[in-house]
Amino acid sequence: MTASNAGTEIDAELRPRVVDTMTAILTRLLRRTEPVTETMRLADELDLSSSLSLELLLELEDRLEIQIDVETMNPDELQTVGELATFIAGHSRPG
Amino acid sequence: MTALDAVAVYLPPHRAPIESFAEPLGLTDIQVRLFRRFHGLSEIGIDPDRTLSDLLHAAASALPGLRGQEHRIRYVLHGRALPVVAPYPHNPLHDVCRALGLEHAVAFTVTQQSCASGLLAIELAGRLLAGDPPGDTGDSDDSALALVLTGEKAFTQDARLLPGTSLFGEGAAACLVSATGPRDRLLAYACNQRGEFDSEVGETPERFQREYRPSLAEVIHRALAEAGVTLDDIHLVLPHNVNIVTWQRLCLLLKFPVERVVLDNVPVNGHVFCADAFINYRTARERGLLREGERYLVAAVGVGDGATFSAMVFEH
Repeated sequence: MTASNAGTEIDAELRPRVVDTMTAILTRLLRRTEPVTETMRLADELDLSSSLSLELLLELEDRLEIQIDVETMNPDELQTVGELATFIAGHSRPG
Repeated sequence: MTALDAVAVYLPPHRAPIESFAEPLGLTDIQVRLFRRFHGLSEIGIDPDRTLSDLLHAAASALPGLRGQEHRIRYVLHGRALPVVAPYPHNPLHDVCRALGLEHAVAFTVTQQSCASGLLAIELAGRLLAGDPPGDTGDSDDSALALVLTGEKAFTQDARLLPGTSLFGEGAAACLVSATGPRDRLLAYACNQRGEFDSEVGETPERFQREYRPSLAEVIHRALAEAGVTLDDIHLVLPHNVNIVTWQRLCLLLKFPVERVVLDNVPVNGHVFCADAFINYRTARERGLLREGERYLVAAVGVGDGATFSAMVFEH
C-alpha cells in the first residue's frame, strides 16, 4: 500500500476493469509485443514518460467514463501498474 | 539589496482557444485534449498587430515611476528565451530604448537560460547596480536603476509549442530594479544549469521528465536555505506558467499547498516565455494576495540548449 493509496476506499468493482483497460492501453502505447502485467514498474521497467502517462489517464477516463482526481496523484508513490490502478479505483468519479 | 521598485505588464486583448492552434501546429485531437484536461490550457494570448518592440514598449510605458526618471536608468536588460528574434541589423531592444528616451543606457539581452533568463536578468541587474559607484549627488532619490524587460513573439513553430508540455503566449513585463529599494527585496537566487538536458543532443526526454520536478525542488530548497527561510515561511509561489499538472505534482513533492501557487494565468495566457513570474506578480497584487513583509518564491525552468532550473525568494 502506497502513501497515495493509504486509507482510501477502493472501488472493488472498478479496479479490475482499470487493470484490464490499462494493460491493454499500455501494450499499445508502448508498442510492446509482450503483455503488460500488474506488477510491472511504470517508469523503471516500462519506461513510461510523464507525457505518455497523461495520455494513458485520458484514454482510461474516456473508456471507463470516469474522471480521475489527478490533483492528489503523486506519481512518485505509484510505482507499478497495480498501484496506479488501485489509486484510480479509489480516486475517481463517474465522468 | 536588489529590489523590484515597480512591475508592469502588457497582455494582448485578443485570446484564441487552444483548438485553433491544432491545425497550424500539427496537433492531434488527443494532444489538444491533453492540454485542456491536464495541462489546464484553455486560451492563448496573441497579438498579431504588435511587434516585439511594441509588446515591450507597452509594458514599459505602463511602469509607474519610469516617466521623468529616464536619466536614472543605467541598464536595460531583455531577459529572453529565444536567441534570435529579428534579422540583423534590426534590434527590437534598441528600438524600445529609443522610444522610451533611454538611448544613454547600456542595453543588452540575456538569452542563455531560455525561459529562466528573466530571473537571471533581475539578478544581473541587481549585481550591476550594486557594483556601480554612487551617483553624483549621493542622494538615494537620484540613484541608478535598471529596467528589465521580458516577453516575446510566438512567431515560429518552436516559439509556439513546447511539445506535450505547453503552448506559448505573447505578452510582456517590465520591472524597475534598484540596488537598495525597500519594495520586493530579493533575498536569494539559486540556479542550476544542466547541460546534459540539451534538447537537441542531450539526454532522452523521458529522463528529463523524470528529473524535472526533483531538480526544480532542489533549486527551490537551495534558494530558501540561502534566504534563511523554509517553505513554511513562504506565503505564495509565483510559478512559471508551464502548465497546471506540473505544479500540482511539484507541490505534492514539496508538500506545499497548490492553492498558494498563482496559477490563474495558465488557462488564459499560456506560457509567456520569461514574463510569467511578473505577470503572476501583478495578479497576486491585484488579488491582494501579498502583504507587507510576506515572503514569496518565484520559480522558472528554461529548456533549450540545456536546461536551467531557477528560484528566487523575495520579501514584499
